[in-house]
Amino acid sequence: MSAIDHLSGPADLEEDERQAVETLLYRLADDEFVLAERYTEWQVRSPTLESDLALSNIAQDELGHARLWYDLLEDFGYEEADLIWERDPADFRHATLVELPFEGGDWADAIVRSYLYDEAEHLRLEALEESSYPRIVDRVGKVQAEERYHREHATNWLERLAETDEGRARLQTALDRVFPHALTLFEAVDPDVERRIDEYGIRTRSLEDMGEQWLETVVPFLESLGLEVPLSSDRTVTAEDLPSHVGRDGSHTDDWFDLHDDFTHTYRELGRDSADRIMPDPDDQ
Amino acid sequence: MIWEVFRQEKPGEYHTHCGNVHAPDAEMAKLFAEVQHGRRKPTNSLWVVPQREVAEVDAEEATFGGSTDKSYRWAMTYNRVDESFAEEVADSQREQETADREREEVTSGGSA
Repeated sequence: MSAIDHLSGPADLEEDERQAVETLLYRLADDEFVLAERYTEWQVRSPTLESDLALSNIAQDELGHARLWYDLLEDFGYEEADLIWERDPADFRHATLVELPFEGGDWADAIVRSYLYDEAEHLRLEALEESSYPRIVDRVGKVQAEERYHREHATNWLERLAETDEGRARLQTALDRVFPHALTLFEAVDPDVERRIDEYGIRTRSLEDMGEQWLETVVPFLESLGLEVPLSSDRTVTAEDLPSHVGRDGSHTDDWFDLHDDFTHTYRELGRDSADRIMPDPDDQ
Repeated sequence: MIWEVFRQEKPGEYHTHCGNVHAPDAEMAKLFAEVQHGRRKPTNSLWVVPQREVAEVDAEEATFGGSTDKSYRWAMTYNRVDESFAEEVADSQREQETADREREEVTSGGSA
């Protein structure tokens, strides 16, 4: 067993511990929720009926994962309205990778983005399998069971798109555009809090560590497809590789504020102050 | 290219045809079929088969079962045997009777 003591339930955490757990959960939930919002834009617009259903299904998976993580934040007294519909968009902690709009309906972008995201997601879920926070451990397996499909989907598409010159050129354009934003997946919300997340064993691998491993996976694979990975030096990330907004720290692109405005529009228009529940609580399922 | 999809609900059951998917190869066909035909109904396994590999013979060119009386095939003479000594015989008997009934329905429907 790990040397780290297990944290107690949500009600008995010290203030520092609680902040660390909350920060980690916001990273997870916000990424999944915002990515699902973007994926959903492909609904009825994907290249074929089959690809439409596949991506919509992935979007639904991600929404389900966001729900599992937001639900753990509700342990601390928040309600869905606080977490999503009435939350200040500047308080969202997702990486900018997931908030970018798709360039002119560029399918290569959807595929490149999901590949970069799902490889990172795979690593960070592994780093939660033995988390010191039992509420997280209980839910990781459920999320991982759906992630296999996501990675296979992205990889299979990449391999096929890369078979032709035109496909490869489109992948390269998408990669140049989104890769810097993918690096923000491993950026800190707040360096002190991230350090405590590791120290308390809520996550068993640091962001730096996962970031390195991720590069070791995605760079050779993308290169094997004939693509060039836009990194200033070989396999190390420097400040100049990062975009000007990294998301995690609350700095976002303008596109995020537009998207937030869009998906909260109906809630505001109807004058709501809470969200209806149409499914049982994940703990009761 | 079109792939015909066959779904098996539980281990040991037959795979039955449930629709198709468009995909360039078997790997993508499986990936698409998984969502398109396996996400809402209980599924244990899916087969994807290239549509062009499916060969067909239909009632226009074949006379299924022949056109002369071959009722001996249905082994109805075993009606008079006490089959209680073996469950399989009883099962087989029931199967034969069902098949016979269905065959009569098809025949009488066809001659109308």
